Amino acid sequence: MLKHLFKLIWNKRKQNVLFLSEILVSFAVIFAVMSMLVNYYLNYSKPSGIEYERVWSVSYRNPLKTENRDSLSLFYENIRRALKAMPQVREVTYSSANFPYSGSVSTTGFSYKGNNLNPINTYMVEDDYQKVLGMKLVEGRWFNSDQDRLNAVKPMVINTSLKRAMFGDDAAAGKTVQADDEKERWKIIGVVEDVKADGDYRPTGPAFYRKIDTASFSWLGNLLIKVGPDADAAFESKMSKLLSSMMQNTDLEIRHMDEMRDSKNGETIIPVIIFMTVAGFLIFNVALGLFGVLWYNISQRRAEIGLRMAIGASSGSISGQLVSESLLLASLSLVVGTFFAIQFPLLSVFNVPAGVYLIALLLSILFIYLLVIFCAFYPGRQAAAIHPAIALHEE
Amino acid sequence: MIQLQNIEKVYRTDTVETLAVNGINLNVAKGEFLSIMGPSGCGKSTLLNIMGLLDEPSSGSVSIDGQDTSRFKDRQLAHFRNEKLGFIFQSYHLINDLQVLDNVELPLLYRNASSTERRRLSEEALAKVGLSNRMKHFPSQLSGGQRQRVAIARAIVGRPQIILADEPTGNLDSAMGNEIMDILMSLNEKEGTTIVMVTHDEHMAGKTHRLVRLFDGSQVQ
Repeated sequence: MLKHLFKLIWNKRKQNVLFLSEILVSFAVIFAVMSMLVNYYLNYSKPSGIEYERVWSVSYRNPLKTENRDSLSLFYENIRRALKAMPQVREVTYSSANFPYSGSVSTTGFSYKGNNLNPINTYMVEDDYQKVLGMKLVEGRWFNSDQDRLNAVKPMVINTSLKRAMFGDDAAAGKTVQADDEKERWKIIGVVEDVKADGDYRPTGPAFYRKIDTASFSWLGNLLIKVGPDADAAFESKMSKLLSSMMQNTDLEIRHMDEMRDSKNGETIIPVIIFMTVAGFLIFNVALGLFGVLWYNISQRRAEIGLRMAIGASSGSISGQLVSESLLLASLSLVVGTFFAIQFPLLSVFNVPAGVYLIALLLSILFIYLLVIFCAFYPGRQAAAIHPAIALHEE
Repeated sequence: MIQLQNIEKVYRTDTVETLAVNGINLNVAKGEFLSIMGPSGCGKSTLLNIMGLLDEPSSGSVSIDGQDTSRFKDRQLAHFRNEKLGFIFQSYHLINDLQVLDNVELPLLYRNASSTERRRLSEEALAKVGLSNRMKHFPSQLSGGQRQRVAIARAIVGRPQIILADEPTGNLDSAMGNEIMDILMSLNEKEGTTIVMVTHDEHMAGKTHRLVRLFDGSQVQ
């Protein structure tokens, strides 16, 4: 029967062009939507890598004109002490502007043993940065000024992605690395979990953390503060006043990291919702189109259906034949669609992992088959209800 | 072979009730070649459809080869039609998108016959109707007479005991009509196939064993 259906489809290929095109277009749209959804879902299902609740960020512009490192250091240490003296404050750390969910990015290239890793996020941090953000160590340790001072080589903490890219499954802590094009050497003292710095739906990537030195205070502009559960709006106001009094002539902005995360997630998810709505509308129209094409085909084939019933086809086999024909036609379109879709993982388009495209491809194929079954089912049943005596008499 | 007992067929709409077949009792013996004649609209085709289990009578019973078909479900009816009956229609009802050989194979598809078996039987059937050289043609490439011969090949490919022909020569000129009639008579004589044929043509009806005349749904001869 399958061979018979193939012959029928092949001999009617001109009439089936519309159907084939509709399926191909639907597949392209579904594949795009699925790739996006699978990519975001896989990112979403990974841990965020930090504890963002009750973390506040304070952005400021350095109010001091001096370049003197000691003066700068003293000024900012005083602020730290004043903040830590507040009972609601648990931890305080200075950070470069590209802390998680900030929207700022600082990247660099890194060539290691001929392996070109680019881009790599680079963060300037302090000893308490890990505590403030609750970052999880996978290997080794975080920065510790007392211990780090003893090292001749500058310390560096890397994330899991960078570790995997550089060392595979081998341990990284304790290894000294030197970029191919740099003279400076770094000692990896620890590995932390990847941090989803751009929100829950965005991918992580290789990153390393370097330590702030006293010279950095001249350009740093961010404080991260872990507060207790009793830190309310009144406390925020009090803290703002304190910082304003200590850092005069500067613009202060306090933001809550959980709200920043929501905002970053919104930036990702709102376009997806818009795209999905448009795609859903398109698929709805395609489904109506398919339904119409199948309905029309059946109305054009009433005599054939009547004949088939006369020579031995049951209602069930007529219905099954029409659904099978639609599925076979869909398969032809899917073969073409898959040929193009498979190029995405092969060419690593948009730097999305190949697995995402392959899952999206399978889901898209499944979706198209379900769509075709859904659209063919009712016309197929209607065809099965055709009375052979009437259908044969009509022609 | 076929027993029709008190067959009635009524077509009802909201406002009109039409009695298409009225109290027909008819026995068709095994190996008989019966023709049914009558003016247009007298119920000939309706009666043939009822005999071919393509339509249900409003009342009465149809027995074929000793089996009462009134309680057959859809699958049983389909199987029974496939095994026992062959149909020939005035307008051939060939599938234009399939080659002649594929058209002839159609009944065997619903028997789950192997492709080799289907091909062998179809080639045999086409040889019987003299169309061995047209197997790869499409119906649109054939004359009316050739198309009807393909339809006959399709009707006999499954070796049915009964052939029901609804005006098989109606669309053909007399020469072609005679050719078709010769094939049907040969099937009846050589293979013992029971044939019931609806026709308007007295000449063709005269060649059959028995003639039944209908008028306004009733048997008058």
